Amino acid sequence: MDLHSSEDRLQIFPEENNRLRRETVQAEMSHEPMEAGEGQAQRDLQEEVDELVHLYGLEDDHELGDEFVDEDRMGVPMYPPYGMKRREPTREQRDWRLGGEAGAEDQGYTGWGTAAQSQALREAYRYTHGCASEEYECYVIPEEEDEEEAADLFCVTCRTPVRAVEKDFDEHKEHEVTPLNKALESAKVTQAVWGLCPGQSHCGFKGTVGKQSQCCLQRRQRRGALTLSLCCSVGQDEIHKNMYKLEQQIIEMENFASHLEEVFITVEENFGKQEQNFESHYNEILETLAQKYEEKIQALGEKKKEKLEALYGQLVSCGENLDTCKELMETIEEMCHEEKVDFLKDAVAMTDRLGKFLKTKTDVEISAQPDFEDQTLDFSDVEQLMGSMNTIPAPSAPVINPQAPNSATGSSVRVCWSLYADDTVENYQLFYRPVWDNLPGKEQAEFTVTVKETYCSVTNLEPNTQYEFWVIAQNRTGSSPSSERAVYMTAPSAPIIKIEEIRSCEEAVLICWESGNLNPVDSYTVELTQAEAPAASGVTESVVGIPTCESLIQLQPGQSYTICVRALNVGGPSARSAPATVRTTGSYFPLNKATCHPWLTISEDGLTVIRSERKSLTQELPPHQTRFTRCVAVMGNLIPIQGRHYWEVEVDEHLDYTVGVASEDVPKQEDLGANGLSWCMRHTFDSRHKYEFLHNRTTPDIRITVPPKKIGILLDYENSKLSFFNVDIAQHLYTFSCQLHQFVHPCFSLEKPGCLKIRNGISMPMHATFC
Amino acid sequence: MVTILMSLIFTDRRMALKQISSNKCFGGLQKVFEHESVELKCKMKFAVYLPPKAETGKCPALYWLSGLTCTEQNFISKSGYHQAASEHGLVVIFLWQVRNFKQGASDCIWFSKIELTYNFFFFLKSVSAFAPICNPVLCPWGKKAFTGYLGTDQSKWKTYDATHLVKSYPGSQLDILIDQGKDDQFLSDGQLLPDNFIAACTEKKIPVVFRLQEGYDHSYYFIATFIADHIRHHAKYLNA
Repeated sequence: MDLHSSEDRLQIFPEENNRLRRETVQAEMSHEPMEAGEGQAQRDLQEEVDELVHLYGLEDDHELGDEFVDEDRMGVPMYPPYGMKRREPTREQRDWRLGGEAGAEDQGYTGWGTAAQSQALREAYRYTHGCASEEYECYVIPEEEDEEEAADLFCVTCRTPVRAVEKDFDEHKEHEVTPLNKALESAKVTQAVWGLCPGQSHCGFKGTVGKQSQCCLQRRQRRGALTLSLCCSVGQDEIHKNMYKLEQQIIEMENFASHLEEVFITVEENFGKQEQNFESHYNEILETLAQKYEEKIQALGEKKKEKLEALYGQLVSCGENLDTCKELMETIEEMCHEEKVDFLKDAVAMTDRLGKFLKTKTDVEISAQPDFEDQTLDFSDVEQLMGSMNTIPAPSAPVINPQAPNSATGSSVRVCWSLYADDTVENYQLFYRPVWDNLPGKEQAEFTVTVKETYCSVTNLEPNTQYEFWVIAQNRTGSSPSSERAVYMTAPSAPIIKIEEIRSCEEAVLICWESGNLNPVDSYTVELTQAEAPAASGVTESVVGIPTCESLIQLQPGQSYTICVRALNVGGPSARSAPATVRTTGSYFPLNKATCHPWLTISEDGLTVIRSERKSLTQELPPHQTRFTRCVAVMGNLIPIQGRHYWEVEVDEHLDYTVGVASEDVPKQEDLGANGLSWCMRHTFDSRHKYEFLHNRTTPDIRITVPPKKIGILLDYENSKLSFFNVDIAQHLYTFSCQLHQFVHPCFSLEKPGCLKIRNGISMPMHATFC
Repeated sequence: MVTILMSLIFTDRRMALKQISSNKCFGGLQKVFEHESVELKCKMKFAVYLPPKAETGKCPALYWLSGLTCTEQNFISKSGYHQAASEHGLVVIFLWQVRNFKQGASDCIWFSKIELTYNFFFFLKSVSAFAPICNPVLCPWGKKAFTGYLGTDQSKWKTYDATHLVKSYPGSQLDILIDQGKDDQFLSDGQLLPDNFIAACTEKKIPVVFRLQEGYDHSYYFIATFIADHIRHHAKYLNA
């Protein structure tokens, strides 16, 4: 680095100052032991000087290290001369004769004063202030000596400011010297080193390469101000940049502080809680112990009393024995002193008494042992309490939520519950069992799922079925009580549309379906999608809340719809049924097989009615509520809409047939047209065609010259008319004016073997509109 | 159709047309005109009903060929066709026939009618009739009239006989509606003979709906009862 080399060339440090300084240093150092640790070699001379400054200026100031930064900064204005710290050993020898003791340690570290000296000083200072040495590592040496005379030249070679008076001295003699402000300018231009990292160059000064990076880093953070003072004109942008950095740092710190505050509060809360917990535990244990103590004391007292009583009793009886012995003794003694006659007389009695007495055993065993019988104390409950003191409490019962709407499918439900905030839970055990209303007594198997979350999707369930759920929370300490039981319900199975029973007309469709579920469901939803609508393609309309298994839905004429049905219960909707397609072109009706005369058969497509040859009308059938028994007829199921319905029947022109309409409750044992509930066109062929338009057994006298092969029938509720046409030639044949008080249905009868082909779901031809 | 009719009148007859009356009826106008017939050398009247729809656009025309003792006043006042014609937007033209024939009015009417029917077969889309003389060649009236007009050559008569005409009808689509009162004395007298016409139509597969109306006679009461059906019958084709 050219900076280094230039620095090296500059030496204008005045010896006088150095000496003066050294003396001071030594004076301070004298009462401190010399220390020359290895790390000290790398010490920043600058810092040491800094410390010296403090020592001088703030000797009695025993503030903490925080202030040092500021103090250092205060020292910054004195900085400019600091570049002269690096010296050649030779020169150093000359300059620091007195400090030669430790000068060899670091050749690049031979400023004024030896490293050892400086270090010792530094240490001393540090001890005085109770601070870690690291704090000062990178501090710059403010060169207070230079305060007296500011440098006004700059030695380019040594990279050191020089006072003009010193120009002729020492090494700078041959060096290139420029005015200081000019040097500053060029330094600014040359590199941002001074601005960006004063430490970098500074480190280089002292040759403490190993320490450099650390030095730089720290310096960069701490000594922004130094930079400014060093290169006051280095650049406003640098200042702003640094200010911005500082601002950023302030914001960060503020954020961090608020975060810390939060943490603080949380810690406080948690510890408060824990303290409470401990306190309650502690009290509990104390209480238990006190109780134990009471119990024990009482037991001991009783035992003592019992023992004493026993001993006392023994003592009393012992005394009694003693008395008896004494008395016997005395008596015997007396006898011995008596005369022989008396003695003999009394001796017999006495011998008996003595013998008796001796026979009685004297109990000399101590009835109660004086020593304390070993009584074990049962501390198990206390131990348990002690044990539980350090563990978390078992959780309390979770609260199971009621079923959320639309959360179930046909085979699964999503069960949710919640815990109390204070509880620590490791996992939950969810229990469930199906609820069968219709199977009382039959206990269903219970199932268990263990989960960590506060919800669980339980699968593989039966559709449209109620399940009872309850949950238990667990942790290391134990299990909570069971939650309340909640009943959840799976969604129903998809219904099945009875496609063959769909009836439709231009304005509506009557759709019916099988529930698909054994248990009743809440309602059904019908979804309609218009199949070929260019503008609104894919738009689905829904008809909701249908209580029964059929629905009459208004539609737009001439459209095609895809219809699906869903079943609903509290758990949610079922899957869609298989779709059915409905076209609102003309009227479409299926034949009602329940009304079909047994001799008639209906083709597979439901559109051709056949009477086969073999059947004859020889046998009278018994009357039937729904089935035609007299005329060989079948009825269609027309949609109950009071609009206009048109259909056609293809006939053989020589076939005997009757077509028309009849009420559902038309007498089935009568011919069609033979009553007030049916309106029919009858054709008979017997050498000539005969056409009758029958109602109440009467017909107008009408002759038709061209026998129709395709009969169009228009039922018009709006105008109370029933018209017949010869479709092929658009000929109007006849129109009934009939007051229809109830819905009527198409009916078809074959009086001779043959077949009728029904065409429905076709638009009404134009000519029919004029009737 | 109105213009066709008018051109027929002005070009063929080449005569001045005079409006006799004009009355508003069911939103439209019932007008009666008079003109000198060059051929018949007498004054002839005809009536036209213009429905409300005719004020704003073209309307199809329905020709009424009167018979027996009908006059234009009979027809327009008794038949009650106005409402139906107004509804369906049909112009109804009453062609009243000659008065001063020796044979008497009623006879010649049927002659003319059949003639016109024949001529218009190729123009008309639909035909309807109330109690027509269907086979004049065979009925007393017809024999008398044809003998008077055409002489004794019965082969000439057939060209004026509907029953014979349909037998040679070329077969373009035609829809015929006939109403016949069952208590019509002319029917029981064998003057009308609809069965012959029906049989001919059946054979030739010409579509006819023949309605024998129980209890009705040959009067305007009968016509007024079923006139709406007839107008609707025509409207179906004319408005299609």
